[in-house]
Amino acid sequence: MLRIENLTKVFGRTVALDGLNMTVEAGALYGFVGPNGAGKTTTIKTVIGLLAPDDGRVLVNDIDVAKEPDRVMARIGYVPDAFGVYDNLKVSEYMEFFASCYGLAGLKARKRGQMLLEQVGLDDKADFYVEGLSRGMQQRLCLARALIHNPPVLIMDEPTAGLDPRTRYEFKEILKELRNQGKTVLISSHILSELAEICTDIGVIDQGRMVFEGSMEEILAQINVASPLLISVSGNRQKALELLRAHPEVETVTIREEEIAVGFSGDKRDEETLLKQLVEAGVNVYGFVRERGNLESVFMQITDHSGEEVVLLHED
Amino acid sequence: MRINPIYRQESRAGARSFKLPLIILGFNSVLAVVALLYMDSMIAQVRLTAEIQYSSFLGLYSFVTTMEFVLLLFVVPALTAGAISGERERQTLDLMLTTRLKASDIVAGKLVQGLSTVFLLIVSSFPILGLVFIYGGVTMADVGLMLLCYVVTSVLLGSAGLFCSAAARRSTRATVAAYSVLVLLTAGTLMVNYLAEGLGTMPQGNGAADWPLYLLLCNPAATFQTILNSQMGSGSGLTVIFPQLERITEIGFVGRYWWPVSMAVQLLMAAVFLWGAVRKTRPAGRGRRPR
Ligand SMILES: Nc1ncnc2c1ncn2[C@@H]1O[C@H](COP(=O)(O)OP(=O)(O)OP(=O)(O)O)[C@@H](O)[C@H]1O
Ligand SMILES: [Mg+2]
Repeated sequence: MLRIENLTKVFGRTVALDGLNMTVEAGALYGFVGPNGAGKTTTIKTVIGLLAPDDGRVLVNDIDVAKEPDRVMARIGYVPDAFGVYDNLKVSEYMEFFASCYGLAGLKARKRGQMLLEQVGLDDKADFYVEGLSRGMQQRLCLARALIHNPPVLIMDEPTAGLDPRTRYEFKEILKELRNQGKTVLISSHILSELAEICTDIGVIDQGRMVFEGSMEEILAQINVASPLLISVSGNRQKALELLRAHPEVETVTIREEEIAVGFSGDKRDEETLLKQLVEAGVNVYGFVRERGNLESVFMQITDHSGEEVVLLHED
Repeated sequence: MRINPIYRQESRAGARSFKLPLIILGFNSVLAVVALLYMDSMIAQVRLTAEIQYSSFLGLYSFVTTMEFVLLLFVVPALTAGAISGERERQTLDLMLTTRLKASDIVAGKLVQGLSTVFLLIVSSFPILGLVFIYGGVTMADVGLMLLCYVVTSVLLGSAGLFCSAAARRSTRATVAAYSVLVLLTAGTLMVNYLAEGLGTMPQGNGAADWPLYLLLCNPAATFQTILNSQMGSGSGLTVIFPQLERITEIGFVGRYWWPVSMAVQLLMAAVFLWGAVRKTRPAGRGRRPR
């Protein structure tokens, strides 16, 4: 549905996007995650044609944005990170205004506006002034506005920033509903775990490059690899450390109070072998378990560009 | 007829704000006070000398129209300079640009919005302008031509304001830029003439050159003054600051048809400004030819 190929964007001396590739399948709810300044907003603005890329291209439904922006715009609903609102305009008028920007007018536009306000739970606020709405309500209004022309693709830039947990929850419910309607949704965020429950796919961007892209299952599988093995030994600790440091799949070794935390890249099978090797070498192992990982630690690991820390641990 | 959505939205929101009534009130108050003071002094003169000079009645016309013209000069940039930069500051420009609206629709909507306010100002000043008919001596055609001059001036300054608004990131800068354009067009072209005259009349000079006069074609105030001169005879309105206009009849065709030619020039400039405004509003990712 949405394909980004080798997208590059340079602002002066900052390389905001550095050959970014990305694929969003039709019907996916795609979580676009990255730390501050990773290039999420830049990517999104390029997709909707607000920024011109220095290289690469964006295809929506196989239509090139640079060549046929109008056709692409008709297919995309956009919710920016700062949702623009007007003074002296009521919620229903706000919807009507944007409907008219898409050439929709009259009863049809009003009905569609009403329907969308209902969908986001703002139907009782139709006569309120937009600037008087709370942040969460403005957010939902902005979502309703983006859907006014019934686009198959919805792109949202950090929509959950600044929302309380309850509003966040409601927002996710709306997203699920949209997915059930068959819309393709791209949603950016800093927080991977926040998207985990609802997203089908995840793309992690860092310093303008896609560092991980795959389905939710794939990233969950990475959790195990990402979190360390916790090995508890009694007595002959030095022996264990020697063996671990020499092991090809051991990446880091950290000594904690009771246990040794080992960054281990192997799978279950390799864990078995490691344990066997330790025991055979005469190490008394009384604990051998993977730390329960979470998404944030995966995220931190993927987007970690301080390799020095890892080296330090090796010296230890 | 499909009404430009931006114009519709703006006028709805505008109708709810205090800004528009305040502008109308301020504009007409200044105009009314000036006109009444003039009439008062005129009548005091009559009481004093017991003789009525018909020319002083005509003076009312030049006085009121000049005042209104000067007010327009100052109001129009203020009305348009924030139009597009304001949308940008409110982050709504990006939203509009991702709809089916084109940059040209947005600029057109903003221009119509600004001009409709100007139109409202002019129409609301009709009663004051009507004072000049009390004593006669002025025809409807005279007033009509004057209104045409107002409209052309507003289109020029409005377009310049929109261009500044589209080019500047912030509304404050856009406003400063719009007034700079105003100063350049009015005082700037005039200064060039004074300078050229000064150089021309120096001992080794060879008289005032003609070319600086053509610069005055861009000057809406010069157009206004020419029209007033043709209606009232020279010496009225802004004549003091435009002595050059006495010479324009010497420069052939352009001089003979000064006001239509200058209006054409100014509308052309307006078109260029609008074209620039559309270019500056259009997002970077659009309108590029595929490589
Ligand atoms: N208009 C601009 N001019 C100069 N640099 C820019 C501009 N826009 C973005 N950048 C730079 O490009 C990089 C990527 O910015 P971008 O806004 O895309 O990040 P982001 O992932 O959206 O971050 P955040 O999570 O903070 O919103 C940053 O280093 C930023 O400083
Ligand atoms: Mg951002």
